[in-house]
Amino acid sequence: MRWAKPGLLLLGAVIAVLFAVDPAQAAMEASEYRQFLGIDSRRLVWFLAQMHLFFGAFVLGVPMFAVTVELVGWRQKEARYDKLAYEFTSLLSIAFATTAALGALLAFALFTLYPSFMGHMAGTFKDAMFVYALLFLLETASLYLYYYGWNWLSGTEVFSRHTRYVFKAAGVAVIVFGILLFFEAIGPEMRGDTRAFMTLLYALPLGVGLFIIRDRKTIHIFIGIVLNVAGTAILQMANSWAGYMMSPKGVSEDGVLVGTLWEAVENILATPIAIHRVLGNLAFGGLVAGAYAAVKFIGAKTAEDKAHYDWMGYIANFVAIIALIPLPFAGYYLGREVYSTSAIMGNNMMGGDFSWTFIIQAMLVGSIFIISNYYLWSGMTRIPGAERYYKYIKYILGALVLSFAIWLTPHNLPLTSQEVGEMGGSQYHPTLKFMGLMPAKNAVVNLIILSTFFSFLLYRRGNKSTVVPITSQGRMPLIAIPLAGLAATAVVGQYAWYLLELDPAELDLPADRAHYFRTVGYLLLFNCAAAVVAVALALRNMGKLAQGLYLAVTALSVVIFLGVYGFVVMEKASPFLRNVAVSQFLQLISCLILVTAIDIFLFKGAKEIGTLRWGKMSVRSQFALLALTFVITMNMGLMGFIRSGLRGDWHIFGIMRDTSEWSYTPSNATMTEMVGLAVLVFLVMVGFMFWLGNVQSRRKAEAASDDAANQSGSAD
Amino acid sequence: MIKAVGFAFVFMLIVLGIFLWVGHSVTSMVGGGKKVVSAVEITPEGGETIFWGKGRCFTCHSVGGRGSAVRGPNQGVFGEKFQEPIGIRAESRARERSEKTGEEYSATDYLVESLAVPGAYVVSGYKNEMAIVYAPPISLNLKEVKAVITYLQSQGGEPDTEALENPSEISAKYIARIQAASDAGGGDPGAGAIVFEDNCMECHVVKGEGDEVGPDLSAISAKGLKFIAESILEPSKQITEGFETFEVIDLEGRKTTGLKTRDDADEVDITKATGEVVTIAKAEIKEINSGDLASIMPNDLIEALTVKDYQDVLSYMIMQKGE
Repeated sequence: MRWAKPGLLLLGAVIAVLFAVDPAQAAMEASEYRQFLGIDSRRLVWFLAQMHLFFGAFVLGVPMFAVTVELVGWRQKEARYDKLAYEFTSLLSIAFATTAALGALLAFALFTLYPSFMGHMAGTFKDAMFVYALLFLLETASLYLYYYGWNWLSGTEVFSRHTRYVFKAAGVAVIVFGILLFFEAIGPEMRGDTRAFMTLLYALPLGVGLFIIRDRKTIHIFIGIVLNVAGTAILQMANSWAGYMMSPKGVSEDGVLVGTLWEAVENILATPIAIHRVLGNLAFGGLVAGAYAAVKFIGAKTAEDKAHYDWMGYIANFVAIIALIPLPFAGYYLGREVYSTSAIMGNNMMGGDFSWTFIIQAMLVGSIFIISNYYLWSGMTRIPGAERYYKYIKYILGALVLSFAIWLTPHNLPLTSQEVGEMGGSQYHPTLKFMGLMPAKNAVVNLIILSTFFSFLLYRRGNKSTVVPITSQGRMPLIAIPLAGLAATAVVGQYAWYLLELDPAELDLPADRAHYFRTVGYLLLFNCAAAVVAVALALRNMGKLAQGLYLAVTALSVVIFLGVYGFVVMEKASPFLRNVAVSQFLQLISCLILVTAIDIFLFKGAKEIGTLRWGKMSVRSQFALLALTFVITMNMGLMGFIRSGLRGDWHIFGIMRDTSEWSYTPSNATMTEMVGLAVLVFLVMVGFMFWLGNVQSRRKAEAASDDAANQSGSAD
Repeated sequence: MIKAVGFAFVFMLIVLGIFLWVGHSVTSMVGGGKKVVSAVEITPEGGETIFWGKGRCFTCHSVGGRGSAVRGPNQGVFGEKFQEPIGIRAESRARERSEKTGEEYSATDYLVESLAVPGAYVVSGYKNEMAIVYAPPISLNLKEVKAVITYLQSQGGEPDTEALENPSEISAKYIARIQAASDAGGGDPGAGAIVFEDNCMECHVVKGEGDEVGPDLSAISAKGLKFIAESILEPSKQITEGFETFEVIDLEGRKTTGLKTRDDADEVDITKATGEVVTIAKAEIKEINSGDLASIMPNDLIEALTVKDYQDVLSYMIMQKGE
């Protein structure tokens, strides 16, 4: 159990303090702070926490990636996917031990350097901490089974009908349980997002995993799902503590605060942070895998190796993009919940200490999208027939660069007095000042995502000659496309209804501002109508027109109309601006759902112009993959700095003040130094692990080759 | 392969170098990384420090061209909507406020009220979402609040420190509220009233509201902060006269514990902590004990309150002066 050792150490450390503390007392008494070797305790904890989070994200993200790839391989009966999934799982063993060791180090640092703060936390969450440790053991056991049982559980001999039925029944039971949980029929009182989180990430995957069990291979996939569920539950639990520090709620069973332990665990920000992190980890896992593939591609000697690692990089980037597209919305949701929790934290985020940190964040996120697009465009060079779509790239690039520039533009500029004088005595540039406001930024974020989605559509159809008539594909598209249309209209329609009914008093606005709500409400209804028309066109074999129509309506509505109307709302009914942003988001999501559904059937089984030339990629494109990994890692560190820093001089917001000498918000220079250092150490360590993994696989290959030679010699 | 790893490593250093350069450039432009300074002087300069620092006012309000926040009203001259700075605008707002309430508001009264009870008179087009700046997490003390008011008055007008030192009846009420909150560790009396309603009103009366199981707390402020805090944390330490706990044991050995709310020749009434009144005939009583018995007020109340709730309710109690 060498992987579990650091976890047991952590458990021991937790147990040692759990019963010696009174949370309420700890919260009210003067906090005690200590130092280790005279080092700034905050920086030490910051560095260790960041390292633990990077490795935690890696060991949670990579299994998501691995099981997804294994599942695809199983469905498509392609061994190369299975090999790829195994290759990544082999890297996990070392990373897992390092993650646990760093976790133990972080826990020791916190307990020894911040004893009062940890006294309160351990006292409040002592029961949850035991559950955390048990989940850790479950994750360890499932990872063991998943990795070491790969070959043992690779058989495809079908189980007896009776056994299969038992698994199917269990799967259905778990799915039904999830549905009941989602609709509040069972389970404790909890927020809707927590119910959705637990249903979609626990009940549904476990249920489906059980349902598909028919042989040893599917049992292996199920174990992979259990591994991911345990990992996600660990993430949720740890996030509940981070969330509690920002939005404290509830009480332990000992009655320290109010309510129950579950209320403390399921505090307001726990689930929004968890949603953001799950998506972030998936993107991160994909991109770290992509970096691995990129380095191997650059160093590959043979065409076969180049083809393999090119394909691996493509898959990794594909998974990352799937997670990246909804990530800004998850971020927006988290930001909104932060604001709802405390206007002080919310304002500090975008308009206070972190406003310039968000400009740096915009640079990083914008870079991620531009580089992802560049990688997709580079990938089109290996697709025969994709040259038909090259002409669109310059327009997409133009839209991305313009959007990026607007997103980066600050509202007021840090100017010298001479520059202020030259601009007429104002810090605001007469034109650019508008680009610095939220309506402009909301519009361009949506345009960036739409542009990336458009690149993805072009990539998908690169080597397809003609579309396949939907009417010739049987019942499936006749069910799936209207269902996607129904989902799109439901998502947009329910919000239209809400806006049409919304009382201005709810937003502290006078009654005469209601027409601003109605305008947006009718716009959403128009979007619903466009979705219905798009479905009808798609079912009449005019899928391309349907896609174009719905994309155009969404782009015009989200980017142009609401982008401009947002300024009007800001001037006349400022509190409503948040609802405008939600309207933009919902329309965009609906567009992605419906257009993707149509696209799947439009090119299903379409004639290919030529075979993909894997390996025919520029080395530049591999540096793009590397850059993506570096930038997303830096961005994770930066966002962690913002999230944690929002509490200001509070350990636990509003309850336990940070009275240490470090209770101030560090500068952006300090942030980039700390995050840069953590990124450097993390990536060097990951590189080392990749190297170790390589040594191991090379040895295995040599041993296999020796065995084969010996067997061949014996046969001779 | 070593060459490929070397390329990747150098590339990573370049990307990290750019990241560091950006961080340092931003910091050299806009500053940051300083410990929050708390002003102690009631002057516009002191208020300016608080406004742009500890008070975090700048996260919602700009002052003319300074700052970029738009969530709250601009406190300087800005666009068509704000043609006068707050130092002048406060006078017209005070006139409007006087018309609405029938009370005579001065510009200082208006500003004091805006900081003490931000939702009292919200500028049209803005949401009632301003934080209570004298409650956690900002927790300004009274001096700091007054300093901010002088800073706002200095925007186009003259600071009126006299009106802050010798406040009108309207301002005095709000200043007392801020002082009470500040004394109670930065609690918010508004939130404290809700905590009181949820946890205390079943047994205590304030201004005629609540049940009279325990003492009337309408003038509890006179007993001082220490007494009130102790009464919440350790209710048995000092029991108010007339509210001692009695234990009645009847001839069958049954015990009834509570306050003795009636005692005549034939019967006694014992009011339990739940409010239930039990009447016991004296002929059936074997023994009545008092003296060292614990208060019937729950002694684990602090465990049912968050620290914030405790501070809030404490600030609410300290405001109960019996008027």
